[in-house]
Parts: sequence; structure tokens; C-alpha cells
Amino acid sequence: MLMFRYAAISALALACASAATAETIRWAGTTDPQTMDPHAVNSAPVLGFLNNVFEGLVRRGKDMSVEPALATSWEPIGDGEGWRFTLREGVKFHDGAEFTAEDVLFSYQRASDEASDTRSWFAPVSGVNVIDDFTVDIMTSAPNPIFPDSIANWMIMDSGWAETNSATLPDKENGNYATLNANGTGAFMVTDRQPGLSTTLTPFGGWWDEAEHNITEATFTPIDNPATAVAALLSGDVDMINPVPIQDAARVDQRDGTKVIRGIEARVIMLGFGHEADQLKYTAMAGEKNPFQDVRVREAVAKAINVDAIRQTIMRGSAEEASQLVSPAMRGYSDANAARTAYDPEGAKALLAEAGYADGFSFGLKCPNNRYLNDEAVCQAVTGMLAQVGISAELDAMPVQNYWPELRADNFDMYLLGWSPGTFDHEHPVRFLVTTPNAEKKLGSWNFGGFSNARVDELLPMVQSEIDDTKRQAMIDETVAIYQSEHAYVPLYVQPLVWGVRDNVELTQRPDNFFILRWVTMN
Amino acid sequence: MFSFVIRRILQALLVLLVVGLVAFAMFNFIGDPIDNMLGQERTQEDVDRLKERLGLDQPFVVQYAKFLLAAAQGNFGVSYEQGRPVADILAERAPATLELAAVSGVFALTLGIVLGVFTAIRRDGFWANVIMTLSLVGVSLPTFLIGILLIYLFSVELDWLPSFGRGDTVQIGGWSTGLLTTSGLTALILPSITLGLYQMTLIMRLVRSEMLEVMRQDYIRFARARGLSERTVTFRHALKNTMVPVITVTGLQLGSLIAFAIITESVFQWPGMGLLFINAIQFVDIPVMAAYLMMISVMFVAINLIVDILYVAVDPRLRT
Repeated sequence: MLMFRYAAISALALACASAATAETIRWAGTTDPQTMDPHAVNSAPVLGFLNNVFEGLVRRGKDMSVEPALATSWEPIGDGEGWRFTLREGVKFHDGAEFTAEDVLFSYQRASDEASDTRSWFAPVSGVNVIDDFTVDIMTSAPNPIFPDSIANWMIMDSGWAETNSATLPDKENGNYATLNANGTGAFMVTDRQPGLSTTLTPFGGWWDEAEHNITEATFTPIDNPATAVAALLSGDVDMINPVPIQDAARVDQRDGTKVIRGIEARVIMLGFGHEADQLKYTAMAGEKNPFQDVRVREAVAKAINVDAIRQTIMRGSAEEASQLVSPAMRGYSDANAARTAYDPEGAKALLAEAGYADGFSFGLKCPNNRYLNDEAVCQAVTGMLAQVGISAELDAMPVQNYWPELRADNFDMYLLGWSPGTFDHEHPVRFLVTTPNAEKKLGSWNFGGFSNARVDELLPMVQSEIDDTKRQAMIDETVAIYQSEHAYVPLYVQPLVWGVRDNVELTQRPDNFFILRWVTMN
Repeated sequence: MFSFVIRRILQALLVLLVVGLVAFAMFNFIGDPIDNMLGQERTQEDVDRLKERLGLDQPFVVQYAKFLLAAAQGNFGVSYEQGRPVADILAERAPATLELAAVSGVFALTLGIVLGVFTAIRRDGFWANVIMTLSLVGVSLPTFLIGILLIYLFSVELDWLPSFGRGDTVQIGGWSTGLLTTSGLTALILPSITLGLYQMTLIMRLVRSEMLEVMRQDYIRFARARGLSERTVTFRHALKNTMVPVITVTGLQLGSLIAFAIITESVFQWPGMGLLFINAIQFVDIPVMAAYLMMISVMFVAINLIVDILYVAVDPRLRT
């Protein structure tokens, strides 16, 4: 009692309104962008944050469509030997240097270097030729229709600035000038950077585009405890948080002064199988054949899972059912295969009986517990639903730091995975998750279960180089039909986006979960 | 005395070495930093290359030996997450933790002694009983829950105090202090209460039971008989004799204040070393974890050593 009074009195004595001006936005997210170097790390927190500071040749609009940024136009060269980009004139970097074709060439060399995480984006590129100060040809080894779409996060850095500050290559392990400082052409400049604590941005006066926002200062604070983040939003200490824990969303909505903005992320959550393993790893019936090699068993799993129930209860209505490895908002979504395997526990039992597992079997389900929204709860629900058709999953949930090494070591019979296509194209998950793993060609690097289908492997390079949209879509449709009928994965749902804001903030929520400051207005 | 100190220091070094060994053995179970360091589009080749470059492919004993060798030369390595020297990061974060620990230590000690004496003198009074009952709550509620409750009451509902962070800080040399600004001081209130509450109740209960014990002694009765004022009897004669165990506990608890600030710092997003450690665990930032754990164990060992020496200084009977 005394203590409460003590606190109250001190609070009154010290209370001082540190009210921020209306145009300052303070926002919080779980993860601090670990570097200010746009080529060092290929992760959503870094790329999302730096999209406010740097720009690429193209950028994505509010609806994710690709629009001109540092390039004003682009066209294919010849029969698909590459793409010619016409650059915007009169663009300045934050330090005043002028943007030219040299910077594009430099940024290509920097971002495609072995030291850069963004290297894989340039796998199709065979060379970059500077034609004149404002024309650049990017040559590809095969026709590449989606190349301009795939480089929206390739950010252009000033060559002179990088050389002056000896940051011509990213250095992730020891850090360099570009780890803590940024010099882009974007709408905002980094004016204060305290790694792990806070980062302050201010608008760039010399930005080439018309400013839509009315922000004078923006401060980002990483808050990793979700309860603290919600409290900070409710008490007005921050103006925007991402994410709001699903279970707190209703409370944020009900309170005066704050609201929740919901949307659908680009990330599809799915179940994967150990296709390659001849035997189950975690089972009571050791030594017998791996049941998941039988397509009927995989189909039975798909039929046994009531995605709608997961969506309603665990996701509190905010997710969307998924039929494919991408959400309908992505390029190349197959409308022809939009139907999800229906929930049918009786059908699942029949299939299991047909496959010779009428008495069921037991196996191990691996699951992360801090990677996706309510991931462990989803796995528990899956375990329960599978038990109803007679197969018993032994759930092993663990933090993501332990999870990826387990998957890499093939320690699973079934696992949970979320996938967000970096290029916003259906080709991306097919390349990483469905094609036969091949380290040399850098294919199937996340296909942990080792699913393999010769026709899919054959279709992928065709999809990658087909210029004609209709033909390309037909090939994708065929690929989807194969992985659906083979039940290579069991797509569950598209993960929701749940942001919390104060009522006076107007913003645009994009499916890539990037918070773009140039669309924010404060009233 | 001298040989006693030398012996204790040697023991302390052994303890440190063992702590480090155990810590390095456990890092293998915390997970793998590689996936955090490489993006989604990494290949197995990238994974193997980075592992080799960081020395993670070697057994933990070798990793530990390398760490010790570098640490002996004052080099604690580079953070995997931030790409900056760990020593710089720790130095940057230390003031926040130390100020928080100091303020909550002062809070716990002052209030703990005052309330302890009060409840001992008025042992059957109404308020003494209320305080004793409430102190049970303080001991049994977990820190994070107290923190969240305080935030909801004073930040969200009453809107008197900030819900997170350190407020404005002033840079004095290499030290950033929040003690010189109003927003810095207001930001200290809730975290220090959260962090110090357990220690306060502990000290209070300790002082109370020691006081009750001492008050029954003959010399107190004689002091009263000599006509000394009640205040002199309580504070000069009784309280002074309860101090030996209080010093021990306070000393040891000072260590826990810094070490267990982890939870409080994470609840209040307090930018100190504990928060750094939590983030390091999530990222599997081995150099940061190793340096932090070594620092904390050095601190505990040093505090124990000082307490042992103080003991001997305070209580002449221990000098053999």
C-alpha cells in the first residue's frame, strides 16, 4: 500500500508532459533491423526498414504492383537477352551526390558479391552494361520475364559514398561504416542510429518524388515483449506497433484512441512431410516403411485437418484458408486450382484403411514455437485432428533457433513451415520448396523432406524463362496441379497481419509486412 | 588474513573457469545462429562456409579455449547480430543496468530497513500486520507479473508514468545517465520498484526477525533501564546488531539485482545488459552471451569475496 502511494506521489511530482508534436511518429516492432546496409542481410526487418531510406530501380505500390522508382521505364532487350532500364534524372542521394548509372553498376557488384546475402537475386544475371549516364542494360543468361519484379528490394547505394567510407562491400561479421550509416535516395534519412535501442528518421528535403506523408520525424524502437508493446500503444507512448498479439487485438480495438488494422500477409503456413526417408524417425513401429511415402496417407492428412476451425479459434477469424503455396494476391496464383482439399475425416479414415493403416501409426511432428503467429497452438490442433482419424503425432515444439538445425538434419517425420515469396511470384516457392534439392543449381534449398517430381523439375526452368504470360500461367497451373495431387505439402492458411495504431495515424498495410513511412499521415 | 584472501581468490578463479565451461557447453543447445545470419535464400554451402568461418564447426571446448585466450587479451569478439565489438556494446548498455540496480537497491534497503524496524517494534499493530501480509505478496508474485501490473495501472490506466524505455538521457563522458532529466527519473520509478520489491520484502523480513531476536537480549533491557530514549535503544543498540546478516544478504542481493534485471529489463524494454542478453539468446549471439555470462560470474564471485572479507572486518569473533 505504502509503495503504491510512494509511486503515485513521485509520479505526480515528476509528471511532465513530454507530448510529442503531432507529426512525430514513434513505432515499435519485435525485431531491430540488425544493419543499415541494404545488401548485407536479406531479412524482412532489414529490408522493410531500409525501404524507407533506400530505393531500387523499381518499387512496389500500395497494392504490391511494381512501379517506376529510380528507373522511369524498362523494356526487354531483343529476344529476352536482358532488360534495358532508363534511369530517372535529377535524383540526389541524402549527402547530395547525384544518382547515375555508375551507382547502379556499383550496387549490382556490391549486392551480388559473395559477401552479400542478396546475392541469390542476381543468379539469373550475366552482366550489367552502362550505356550512358542514364541507361543501363542488365543482361540475363536466359529470358527472364519477372526480373523487374524480383528486384524491388535491390537498393541502390552511392558508389562515391561507399568508396569514401571504405564500405564497398558489406561486412556482416565485423561491421563497417555502412552497418551504422545509410545514404540512400529514399524519402527518409537516418539521423540517429543506436543499434538495438532506437533509430530516428527524418524526411529528406531533396527527394525526387512528391511527399504524401506529413511526418517530420519518425522513431523506431524494438520492443520484443509483446505485452510491453501493447501497453506502450495503449498508454500512448508509441503510435504504431507490429504485430499485436492476436489474443490482445480485441482489447486494442475496444479501447478509445487505438485500433487494429488487419490484413493478410504473403506468408502461407503449411505442413511438410519426410518424403525421402524410408522409415519414420519417431515411431513405435520401428523398421517399417515410411507411410508418408504413400500419397493416400498424405491425402488423408490433408482431409483430416479442419483449417476453418484453426482459423476461427486459434487465429480468431483473421487468417485465410490456403489451397496453394502462395496467397491469391501473388503473381502466378493458380485460379484453376483454387479449391482446397475439403475437410473430410471419414474420407481420411477410408484412405488410411486403403493404404493399410486402418489401425493408424505414430510419428513425430516438429514445430517451432516462436516463429509464426501461434505456431505451437496450431501444431497442437493439428495433432488433435490427426488423432481423430487414428494417426498419432508426437509433437515436439522448440524455439526457431533450434528448429532450423533440426530440419536441416532431417530430424522430422512431419513439420510446420511458413513461406513468404520474396519475389511475390509463384515461381519462388516452387524453386525453394518443390523442386528436387540440388545444391549446385541452388534449387530446393528449403525442400527439407526431399519431395521430387521429374515434371516439376522440368517445368521450373520453362516457367522462369517464359515471356508470354498466358503460357507461363499454364505451366504454373500444371505445376500446382502436380504438387496438389501429390500432396507434396498440406497448405493450411495465409497468416494474418495484425497492426495496432493510434486513431490519429493513417497508414497503408502491405502484404509484405513492410511499414512504409511515406504513406503515413498523422492527424 | 592475507592467505585467506589469496585462497579465496584462487577459488574464485576456479569457479569462473567452470562457469565458462558450462556456459559454452550449453550454447550448443540454445540453437544455431547461422539461420539468423543468413537470409531465407541461403544455400547449404553458405551455411557450411559461415559455420567454418565462425569456428562453430569445432567442439565447444576448443571454442571456449579460443574465447578465453582472446578474453585474456581484452578481446571479447564481435557480436553476430550487430557486427560491432561486444566490449563496446556492453559498455554502452552497462550504465542503464547499473543505474537501475543502484536505484532499486537504495529503494529496497531504505524501505526494507525502515519497514523491518517498524514491524518489529509494533509487532502486533494493525499496520504492521498489513505490511507483513502484503510483503508475502511481494515475495510470491513473479517479477514479470508485478511489472506488467504496474505498467497497466500507472501507464495504461492512470497514464502517469512511461510504459517502457529509459526516457531522455544525458551523456557524461562514456556514461549515459537518466538521473539528470525528469523523463529519465520518471522512467526509473516503475522498473526500480519491480526489480527491488522482492529484495525489499526480503530485507524487511530479515531485519524484523533479527530485531525481534535482539530486542529480547539482556543488554537491550539494561539499556532501557539506563533510561536511554526508545529511539537510541532501537537504532543505536538494537539495529546495529542486526546488521551482519543484513550486510551479507544485501551484498549477495546486489549481485542478483544486476543479474535478475534481465526480466525487469525485458518487461520494461529497459536498454540495459539484461535486455541485450535476452536478445542475444534469441539471436544465438554467442560472443555477447559468453561475455555477459562471464561478466556476471566475475561480479558474483567478486561480491562474495568482498562480503567474506567484510564479515571478518565487521565481526571480530571471526578473526581466528
